[in-house]
Amino acid sequence: MKPLNLIALLLFLAGATWALTRSEQVVREIQIAYFKIISPTLKSGSALETKSRSLLSETRHSKESEAKLAVIEGEIGRLRIIESRFKELERENSELRHALDFKKATNFDVVAAQIIRRHPTTWWQTMEIDAGEDRGIGIQLSVLSNDGLVGIIDRPFHSRSSVLLITDEKCQVSVRVEGSPEVGILSGQRGEFDSSPMLRLRFLSKNASLKPGQRVFTTGRGGIFQPNILVGTIASVERGPLDSEALVKPAVDLSDLGTVFVVLSENH
Amino acid sequence: MLRYNISTIFLLLAAFLVQQFVPALTGLSNARILLVHLVFLCAAVTVATPTMLLLAFIGGIFWDAHTSLAPIIADPEVYTQPAESLRFGYSILLFGAMGFLMQGLYPLFRQGKWHFSAVLTGIATFLYLAADYSLISFVRGDFVITRPIIRLMSYTSLLTMLFSPLIFWLLFLLAKASGHSLYPEAGKNRRR
Repeated sequence: MKPLNLIALLLFLAGATWALTRSEQVVREIQIAYFKIISPTLKSGSALETKSRSLLSETRHSKESEAKLAVIEGEIGRLRIIESRFKELERENSELRHALDFKKATNFDVVAAQIIRRHPTTWWQTMEIDAGEDRGIGIQLSVLSNDGLVGIIDRPFHSRSSVLLITDEKCQVSVRVEGSPEVGILSGQRGEFDSSPMLRLRFLSKNASLKPGQRVFTTGRGGIFQPNILVGTIASVERGPLDSEALVKPAVDLSDLGTVFVVLSENH
Repeated sequence: MLRYNISTIFLLLAAFLVQQFVPALTGLSNARILLVHLVFLCAAVTVATPTMLLLAFIGGIFWDAHTSLAPIIADPEVYTQPAESLRFGYSILLFGAMGFLMQGLYPLFRQGKWHFSAVLTGIATFLYLAADYSLISFVRGDFVITRPIIRLMSYTSLLTMLFSPLIFWLLFLLAKASGHSLYPEAGKNRRR
């Protein structure tokens, strides 16, 4: 090997070692700097993807959408009435809590965000939303849709955030199965790149008597997710020698999401 | 030569910007064109080892900045088996390894046979993804290989390889503009 190549190789290895030994804080600073530089193209790229997706969606569902719109308009009216009733009940509840001298009142603050980019990386099940630290979003906040749990905030930036979806192996959720004493840890499965990936519910009891269709909710344990958020439904149960596992169909159709809600805070 | 080397660095940085416009093709198992990797692999065969290593460092560190996940901090009593992530910076080593693989065909490339290098970009992309996935499996345990994974790797490699002539053409333009010859031996043979 030529001396110059050897020196270059040694410098390269030193650089790689430097990068591999950086702390999480330094990595985050590098990422912030990187995304700051590419943010103009990131916005344009996201806008292009959103436009093309909406164009495809429009052509596919234009007639369907008209019919749906009529139904949704009716539903909005109904929900407005329910909301006004709910607000009244919430006020009444707050007054009663105050009267009983409860120290904390329930507060569930959310931020609505649009999905601007899907699958930005090869292996991780992530997506990007158009809300970031400027709207109070921080790391590890729950992300929900109307149908249930979507994931958690992975990295918030100034005006956008990346969301780790529940279908990723890294996103683990402590859950309970409705109508049973069973609790377990739910996570995505590696290599599930289909449009309808299944989740794996582990650490169930050996003789767990679960049936397909039973709903799965968050327990609220573990310090990440709020309790009683719908995650999915049991699809099948696999019994092992020591414990049982179940496959769970996510409640949310992650391939067809438009708007999500980030839970900013919840005080019990 | 120096001007050409600097222009390859700028081309790699430009690839990061253009990569933002390349979506995942959901109909093809979320496959995509890995433009950053393609530019690096094509440039790697046209430059000397020190420049290739510099490109590998820049490509690897920015790619990890783009893709790495934050650690999840949760109650260890509830989440007893967290899924580990790869350390920031591992892509630098993968880029370097693929760069050396590409440089294996440098003698053929110098003779003007860029087609072999174009095919090798596809193979190198596949190997890169396979190594990437193997590392993930290694840190998380359980080596799971499914059809969608193989499809994702194959389609991504194929799509990436199909665009390699375009990148080589860009590199030839850059070399011409910098007054640098990418085919020194082909020129000598013609003169003989």
